[in-house]
Amino acid sequence: MAPKKDPKAPAKKAEPAPAPAPAPEPAPAPAAPAVDLSAVKVEFSADQIEDYREAFGLFDRVGDNKVAYNQIADIMRALGQNPTNKEVNKLLGNPSADDMANKRVEFEAFLPMLQTIINSPNKAGFEDYVEGLRVFDKEGNGTVMGAELRIVLSTLGEKMTEAEIDALMAGQEDENGCVNYEAFVKHIMSV
Amino acid sequence: MDCHNQEECSRPQEEEDIMDIPLDDPEANRAAAKIQAGFRGHMTRKKMKPEDKAEGEERQEDRGQ
Repeated sequence: MAPKKDPKAPAKKAEPAPAPAPAPEPAPAPAAPAVDLSAVKVEFSADQIEDYREAFGLFDRVGDNKVAYNQIADIMRALGQNPTNKEVNKLLGNPSADDMANKRVEFEAFLPMLQTIINSPNKAGFEDYVEGLRVFDKEGNGTVMGAELRIVLSTLGEKMTEAEIDALMAGQEDENGCVNYEAFVKHIMSV
Repeated sequence: MDCHNQEECSRPQEEEDIMDIPLDDPEANRAAAKIQAGFRGHMTRKKMKPEDKAEGEERQEDRGQ
C-alpha cells in the first residue's frame, strides 16, 4: 500500500524564517534575522588584517584556511572583543548545533563578522561591569559573595559552566569567600 | 545549620540571596550576558597568552602528520 503522494504539489521548502514580533518572555530569544554581512563595510588597515589573519590561522586545525563556526566567538575574543554568544549566532545566521560543529568560515567571510562586532554600540566598559556586579553587593561594601556570583553566572544570561566559573574565579575570593568586584573587573579588563 | 530558635534562623543570608536571583528578569539576564561576555573574552585571551607559541608549534606538528 504505497502512500498516496501528489507529485504535482511542489514541495515547499521551509526556510529559516526570521521570527516575527519577538515574544516578551525571557526564554531563549527567538532567532533574530541574520545580519546582512555583504552590506558591512570592512575598514581594517592592512596591518590589522595581517594580525587578524594570523590569529585566524592559529585556529585552523584542518589546514583548509577556514575555521569552524564554533570557533568564531573565540577568535573574536582572542582579538580583544567580547561578543555574546547570541551576537555571534546572529552573525552566523542562527546555526544549528550541527552547523556549529561542521560548517566552516573562510577568512574573507570572517572579516565582516568581526567588523560588525567591533562596530556594535553598547559595548561594556569598566563601569558597566562594576555596576552590574554592584547589584549583588548586599552590604554596599564593595564586595560580593563568591558563592552568589557563581550562582548568578551559572543561572542567568548566557550560563557559564562550573569549569568556566572555576577558571574565572580562581584566586579571586578572599578568606571569607568574598570578591572585591572593582578589583575583579580591573583584573578582567587587564587582558 | 544549627538554629537555636526560629527568629535567628531567618538569617540564612545565602539562601535569601539565592531566592533573590531574578531568573525571569530580562534586564538582569541582559546585564548578566554582558558580564559573562566580558568574562569569556578575558578567559580566552588569558588562555591564548602562554599558549601562543604552543599553538603555533602544535599546528605545525598537525600539518606534518
